[in-house]
Amino acid sequence: MRFLFPVVLFMAVWSAACEKAEPSFYGGRGKRPVYVAPDDLKVIKSEPPRNQISESGTIFLKDTLFFILDRYQGVHVFSIRDTAHTTNLAFISIPACLDFTVDGNYLYADSWRDLVVVDITQLNAVRETGRLTGVIQPPLYPLHYSGPFECVDEQKGAVAGWEDSPEDRFQCFSGN
Amino acid sequence: MKHLIAFLLFGVLLFSCTKDAEIAADGPAGQSGSVTRFAIQGNYMYVLNMNEVQTYDITNRDQPRLVHRLSTDYGLETIVIYEGTAFLGSTTSLYLLDITTHPEAPGIISTTNRVELLGFSHCDPVVVKGDYAYSTIKVIANVCGSIGAESALLIYDISDQSRPILVDQRQMNIPNGLGYKDNYLMVCDEGTDAVEVFDITDPHSLVDTEIFIPVTDPQDLIISGNRMIVSAPTSFYLFDIQDVQHVKQLAVISR
Repeated sequence: MRFLFPVVLFMAVWSAACEKAEPSFYGGRGKRPVYVAPDDLKVIKSEPPRNQISESGTIFLKDTLFFILDRYQGVHVFSIRDTAHTTNLAFISIPACLDFTVDGNYLYADSWRDLVVVDITQLNAVRETGRLTGVIQPPLYPLHYSGPFECVDEQKGAVAGWEDSPEDRFQCFSGN
Repeated sequence: MKHLIAFLLFGVLLFSCTKDAEIAADGPAGQSGSVTRFAIQGNYMYVLNMNEVQTYDITNRDQPRLVHRLSTDYGLETIVIYEGTAFLGSTTSLYLLDITTHPEAPGIISTTNRVELLGFSHCDPVVVKGDYAYSTIKVIANVCGSIGAESALLIYDISDQSRPILVDQRQMNIPNGLGYKDNYLMVCDEGTDAVEVFDITDPHSLVDTEIFIPVTDPQDLIISGNRMIVSAPTSFYLFDIQDVQHVKQLAVISR
């Protein structure tokens, strides 16, 4: 009897350890990632001004040029020289971008796992001049959100946004 | 639809013709809002990356080199540089980093432990003026057991940078970015849909001016001279703040 208890305990622990765990799910409405393909992720370019800001982020003022991040998409550039008539100048498309800063003629930004340098001397013809790959750890969850979501599968690409999911069972959950 | 096409055409014209689309190489340095993970001083750029501070040598502006990684707790959110010190807001602490002695390899001067201090965590941006740092903490109700916790504006005396001392705090609703003009501290409060203005003449005893600048869901702000730009989720606002008692809204850009 003295030996039985440890054996039973061992058996119990062993069987628990080997038992295939039932996957647990979070129910309800949730989010799912929107992916961008690896080839598209590397394309940084000027675009004509966009007529809306989807989800603002970091802001930066350089003299009369105002930069405002659109999360996951890039940076809008406005001229506020004439405050009564601000001018929407350009959109700098930087896929999967979540933050940036500007120094001189260069804009530094994250783009998924990379840090990129963009020469913005010509706002309507920006060009990437440098890229350090794999230095950034992007969030693998929706920002400013608490609730269930579809886990990120990096085999499908980089996360370029989040949208409402039609599913009602999720394996990931964010508590903000 | 016709309006949209006209708007787009107008945009394309501006895009191709305007001189504003060229950036002067010798222009002023510029400034960020208070909510950012990137900051530059001299030839170094500091980037917050989850649980580390990365230092990039940008002597060659178009070819940064990652030269140092400083480990911290998880949850770094914001960085601001003030007179040779970097102030980092994380979800648990305020970090002060020395970026003057060894700008290529900054070291931690001190940290505050907000969890112990207030019994909850989640903090946001920081601004610094003289010997005082102003930081907002935003607590989302019903998340992670923070029910009943309060969001707040915290004021630290940082005259001894190795030992920041909390000297005052004010309850806020859902505070975000902040900045100041002279002795007026402007704080975005998403909960009250306004930029709230405090008199910080005596940082040990803030005075709520009851000046209330209405902005729906304000996120962050930049103050430059007499101008204040306030961002919202899908728009931004321009204000003339020459006379803080009588702030004038100049424009709302929501496209």
